[in-house]
Amino acid sequence: MNNIIEFKNFRMGFKDESGNEFNLLDDISFEIKEGVALGVVGESGCGKSMTSLSVLKLLPSGVTIQGGDILYKGDSILDMNQEQMEDIRGKDISMIFQEPMTALNPVHTIGFQVGEALKVHFPGMKNSEIKANVLEQLELVGIPNPETRYYQYPHQFSGGMRQRVMIAMALICNPKLLIADEPTTALDVTIQAQVLELMKNIKQKGSMMLVTHNLGVVSELCDEIVVMYAGCVVERGNIGEVFENPKHPYTKGLMAAVPSLDSKGKELYTIPGIVPTVKNFEKGCRFSPRCEESSEACKGIKPELTRVGDNHFVECWKYNNSEGSPCQK
Amino acid sequence: MARYITKRLLKAFLIFFVSITITFFIIRFMPSNPVDLLIDPKMGPEVQEAMMEEFGLDKTKGEQYIIFLKQLLQGNLGTSFKSREPVSQVIMQKLPWTLLLLFIVVILSLAVGIPIGVYSAKHRGKFSDKLINIVVMVGISVFVPFLAFLFLYLFSYYFKLLPTGGAYTPPPAKGIRYVIDVLKHAILPSLTLFTANVASILMYTRNSMIDVLEEDYIRTAYSKGVKENKVIKVHALKNAMIPTITVTGLMMGSMVGGAVMTESIFSWPGIGRLIYDSVSALDYPVLQGSFIILALSVIIMNIITDLIIAWIDPRIKLEG
Repeated sequence: MNNIIEFKNFRMGFKDESGNEFNLLDDISFEIKEGVALGVVGESGCGKSMTSLSVLKLLPSGVTIQGGDILYKGDSILDMNQEQMEDIRGKDISMIFQEPMTALNPVHTIGFQVGEALKVHFPGMKNSEIKANVLEQLELVGIPNPETRYYQYPHQFSGGMRQRVMIAMALICNPKLLIADEPTTALDVTIQAQVLELMKNIKQKGSMMLVTHNLGVVSELCDEIVVMYAGCVVERGNIGEVFENPKHPYTKGLMAAVPSLDSKGKELYTIPGIVPTVKNFEKGCRFSPRCEESSEACKGIKPELTRVGDNHFVECWKYNNSEGSPCQK
Repeated sequence: MARYITKRLLKAFLIFFVSITITFFIIRFMPSNPVDLLIDPKMGPEVQEAMMEEFGLDKTKGEQYIIFLKQLLQGNLGTSFKSREPVSQVIMQKLPWTLLLLFIVVILSLAVGIPIGVYSAKHRGKFSDKLINIVVMVGISVFVPFLAFLFLYLFSYYFKLLPTGGAYTPPPAKGIRYVIDVLKHAILPSLTLFTANVASILMYTRNSMIDVLEEDYIRTAYSKGVKENKVIKVHALKNAMIPTITVTGLMMGSMVGGAVMTESIFSWPGIGRLIYDSVSALDYPVLQGSFIILALSVIIMNIITDLIIAWIDPRIKLEG
């Protein structure tokens, strides 16, 4: 299977006002294979959104790339110029954003906004063709009366309908990769379920990168999972392997913190401590201050991603059997 | 939409009524008597009384107010104390000059202020933006009469390039030469008002553009592969223009009467100059008439502004 996107030891950070440089994403490595749905999970502020924005080079200003690379079909995205990026955005890789309430432009009609990507990427297409495509797409994502809705503005849509519009907008050019950044977080539970159902139905076509903090969503929609903590990939692999046999103490904690039917009546597990802020990341394993299984060995040097299964990698000294591992000494 | 407009018009009418009432009484309570300025002290008391009667000044202020309202309903703004001409005629002679100045200034300010504001927002924090900010600060804080005298000194006195005042060289020339002559006279007053106004248009455009460029929908547009200048033109500018349109509307409304100092310094024969002269002459009816025109233009500009904004931003229509 070919990789659509490959993160290779990607490092990214930012500079504050006084010029101090901070690291946000440290040594991110994973790949999104063709036709595979990948879930990226982690707590708020762990760098999930930054990772997804990096793919389209839509990072906020002030962010600096500190090393590594991101490859799109083998070509470095970081080396691409503005024009090449514009060519990829919306056509090959498109994105659904977290906030359907603010991610649509209030002064343009839904029809215009959904069809814009076609207009940009297929300049020869006639307006009537674009409209037909948009109507079809709106129908596909379950928007009733697309003919009327076409000429309406975002404020005339409910949150769930707006997210459907966002999905239609992202899919209009049949992208090879769809990045969905917390597509259901801002919606209420019933609407969440509907949108998830929709995402399940559309996922077959291309690859998908689903960014979320909801493990349930990942288990429903994804084939592979990447668990992130404080800007590091702590564990990744096949969804079945990771869910059945989580290795990293953080992943174990996450799984334990999901309420289940068995845990009824018992106190819900929580991971002790709080997510560190960028400015006080631990030097070695960033999870070690909160880790129940950590030892002195975890503090100094960052562990490397180690294979623990067929398609299962973990970044923890406990499983690091290479030479020089502090746990081996 | 029709309901929105009806509501706006009713509100406008109320504002107009209140403002002319306030104007009427403020002028009447000025602590001097216009008759003293008009009448030669050597005139006998009978003549004075006859004049008071002619102008309606012998009646109580309440009665004067009723008469004023009645006349206004008939479209009669009264007669000037000074020139004895109908006030509407006096104002109509001056209004085109003020409007000419206003349109030159507004068009120039928008044509210069918006592109530079957008440029500045795009290059936020860079050297060019900082430089523009300093210039804007100077433009906003400069004392307009000082600027007027500076331009007058430089261009009319020192370099002798432009006329010192008036709207044309008497006797007025014919045809295209008249137009050129008028434009030449308009340069300095326009430049003065332009400097004062372009700064605020630029600042509003820049600041709202900066806000809009941070919006989520701008990122959405980029994520579709839209080019930067298209994102700015199609997605950002329309949203960012709303505060700029509001300021421009207010600016236009108030400039009809607000250019008093500039028009007076350059002897520009517009409404501002008329207000200045009428205050000196205690010419109640002309002052009143000018203020009515001023109130009216502010109100009309407000309605036009609201309509333009409602047209740009589809969310507003429903809230009417």
